[in-house]
Amino acid sequence: MNLVREIWRSIVRRDPLTTDKGKSELVFLNVWLHIHPAKVKKENMKFRHSFYLGFITFFLFLILLTTGIALMCYYRPYPPQAYQDMKDMQFVVFMGPFLRNMHRWAAHGMVICVFLHMCRVFYTGSYKKPRQFNWVVGVFLLLLTLGLSFTGYLLPWDQLAYWAITVGSNIGSYAPLVGGQLRELLLGGHTVGEAALLRFYVLHVAVLPALLILLTIVHFWRVRKDGGLSRPVWTLKPSKTESLVTIGAPAVVAPLQVEAASRNKTYGLMEVVTGKPIFETITPEEEEDTVFSYPYAFVREAVVLMATVTTVMAMSLFLNAPLEQLANPAKTPNPAKAPWYFLGLQELVSHSALLGGVVAPALMVLALLAIPYLDRNPSRRPVDRKWILWLFTFFVVANLALIIVGTFFRGPGWAFVPPWVHVVGGAE
Amino acid sequence: MERRLQKIFFALSMIALALILAAEWQANTPSWKNYQRNFLQLEAQDEPNAAAKAAVLSTPLEIHQVMLTGLQRVDRCTTCHLGVDDPTMKNAPEPFRYHAGLGPHIPSKFGCTICHGGQGLATDKESAHGNVAFWQTPLLSVDYVRATCGRCHKEGDVPGVPELTEGRHLFETQGCRGCHKLNGVGGSIGPDLSEEGASLRAPQWLEKHFLAPNAVSAGSAMPNFHFSTEQARNLTYYMLALTNQDMGSYYSSVRLIPSPEYGRQLFIEKNCIACHSVGGVGAKTGPDLLGVTKRHSNEWLDEQLVNPQLVYPGSTMPEYDLEANARKALLAFMATVTTEDVQSILSGRKTALKPEDVAIEAGKQDFARFGCVGCHGTELQGGVPNPNAQGGEVPSLLHVSDDYTKDEVIAIIRNGKVPPMDNPAGPTPPLYMPSWKHVLSDEDVNRVADYLWSKQQKKESW
Repeated sequence: MNLVREIWRSIVRRDPLTTDKGKSELVFLNVWLHIHPAKVKKENMKFRHSFYLGFITFFLFLILLTTGIALMCYYRPYPPQAYQDMKDMQFVVFMGPFLRNMHRWAAHGMVICVFLHMCRVFYTGSYKKPRQFNWVVGVFLLLLTLGLSFTGYLLPWDQLAYWAITVGSNIGSYAPLVGGQLRELLLGGHTVGEAALLRFYVLHVAVLPALLILLTIVHFWRVRKDGGLSRPVWTLKPSKTESLVTIGAPAVVAPLQVEAASRNKTYGLMEVVTGKPIFETITPEEEEDTVFSYPYAFVREAVVLMATVTTVMAMSLFLNAPLEQLANPAKTPNPAKAPWYFLGLQELVSHSALLGGVVAPALMVLALLAIPYLDRNPSRRPVDRKWILWLFTFFVVANLALIIVGTFFRGPGWAFVPPWVHVVGGAE
Repeated sequence: MERRLQKIFFALSMIALALILAAEWQANTPSWKNYQRNFLQLEAQDEPNAAAKAAVLSTPLEIHQVMLTGLQRVDRCTTCHLGVDDPTMKNAPEPFRYHAGLGPHIPSKFGCTICHGGQGLATDKESAHGNVAFWQTPLLSVDYVRATCGRCHKEGDVPGVPELTEGRHLFETQGCRGCHKLNGVGGSIGPDLSEEGASLRAPQWLEKHFLAPNAVSAGSAMPNFHFSTEQARNLTYYMLALTNQDMGSYYSSVRLIPSPEYGRQLFIEKNCIACHSVGGVGAKTGPDLLGVTKRHSNEWLDEQLVNPQLVYPGSTMPEYDLEANARKALLAFMATVTTEDVQSILSGRKTALKPEDVAIEAGKQDFARFGCVGCHGTELQGGVPNPNAQGGEVPSLLHVSDDYTKDEVIAIIRNGKVPPMDNPAGPTPPLYMPSWKHVLSDEDVNRVADYLWSKQQKKESW
């Protein structure tokens, strides 16, 4: 019995969780949990401030990692075996359809949630000082998510996959000078074929997830260093606004007025680094608003995690991921459509290949990256940011409208066909 | 609030657990297990005692599959169709019934889908029978299933499937290649038919299309050839057999079935009777062939057909370049040939060809083989409707020498020609003369021109 206790004590070295010290040590001494602060501000954890969209995105990514690794056990990235493996998944692998459905729906969910998370961050002005660069990291995470979804789209090697990727990679080739070469580098040839499947697979299971994990670590670290979840500033009393905007931003705080080294006062390294005396960083009012992360933050995160998992599982039980016929380079479906999140782009391309396929998306990405540096307005209050909010709303609505038009209103030959009109021979 | 959150967490966890169990239940109760249980019940009925019954009933339920690397497929049909190779299941209900009359086509060697269509990888009824979205080849109905024999037996006579032989014959004699490519040879007006059997088209669609092309495919350039319903069925059979799929050496070795019927056809085609006789009937240049298979071994005869001079130095018999199964077919015919039969072959033949007619005959054969007859008619009469072309139809070729020199005609065959339009503002006529220079050799083109010239009718002078 003593041995058991000894082993247990060697693993769990904190005090019991009934004590405040134990609650702190749970976070301090645990490598996985210490991305959290030991204490969080209650106000920051409110659901209606962030809708936990960042958490949901991360949890969806965890689902994708686990189901993805399981799927790798049944998949050969080589045509036409790849397609046969999909069929085997559907018909003979134990719980195969459920596994593949979970991966598919979580992937779509992640694209949606990462976009919604970006909107939330924008509308609350949370990209402002000191979080400018974290916004940039976030934009790259968005691009990586799209890249993962796009590369994963090809792997089933059915008609849907083949032609979506053919159309999608054609869009890229409209870039002047390098477009053709970029496409060839990605596909390993002039058309989507064996080489493209292998490259997409490598990108999908190794390169892009690794990059995504690395950037996610940076993203989370910076959120933590910049004072945790950002909350809408308008919920605070005006007097507190200023201090919250600048919290944890060493560069903007006047250098610590350090008393000359004396016997009376010594400064810790942390105080020198943050520029603030350690015992003055939290005001008594703020102290009142804070609680221990355990269980306050953890239980909320756990609820969101389980909600995400159950939603994906419920969808996977009843909705099957599509699998069309084997990819056939000789039979072009009409219309051949890119994955849905690129249909806005395809819609633009149908009007002008260069403007819609290269200039518009390049400008869009550059604008997103530059937002925190172009928007010099220090205020996070909506009343002070009217025009930029309208501009962003316009950008979001325009994007959605283009995607909806591309998805539901385009028929054979990219002609305008409302979804309620049936085109005879449209499937040909 | 904290209490409630913990309850929500607990509830969500329970839901997640329930969902996993539901997914597992879904995965554990596929429909094929029910079929296997029913089959075991059926088998157990005939067992004499309880112990044997129990032994049968305790057979593990598992997916059965036939891996067919040569045919590039995996068929799991026998997961449910469990009695397919068990003669005692002759009167069993479907899906357990014995498949009679398979001959050498046993399921373990051929699977099911190569003949029947359907989705071999699938393990539920709807998907396996292929009546689901995104599966191109659903199960063929009983009326058409024999058509797929032609996917391996690509040439010659297919015993038991006269439709196929007849359909192939129609295709080669009615000028289909004039507009349609098949395995690289043919015109470009209509679609390539090399993969027609693998397309999405239902057999019923094809059959209707042959009877009246415009009825199922509005605006089709294909003329109505006024086929009979039987001919339409035969052509449909042939279309269903057309695929480019590589069947693997085991299966393609029977491309041609060495049947005596096909041997007889070859005997007529190669004009053996022009040199040989059978029981005294025929020509005397070569030896009499009655009983030849008894006088020589099969190997000797085969060698003789491959290389006559090697066996008989100085022999005047030409090399016919026949493939192995064609030689076998000829020998099979020789083994059963009768004098009466040869007499009927001889009397069915027209008068012997004169040397100068041989080239013209070859030109005529090219004219049929490459599909010229499809538009220009078997007697060069033309007359196939071609809206908005001058005269509204494909012109007769009986008077070309009035307007063109032979060289000009040769140039038109080689390079093609767009017909002049009745109304220049109207629609382009659907039919045109394709360019044949990449299909026909110069020799072929010259022979076709010679044939045309041999048929020219002088305009009546007045």
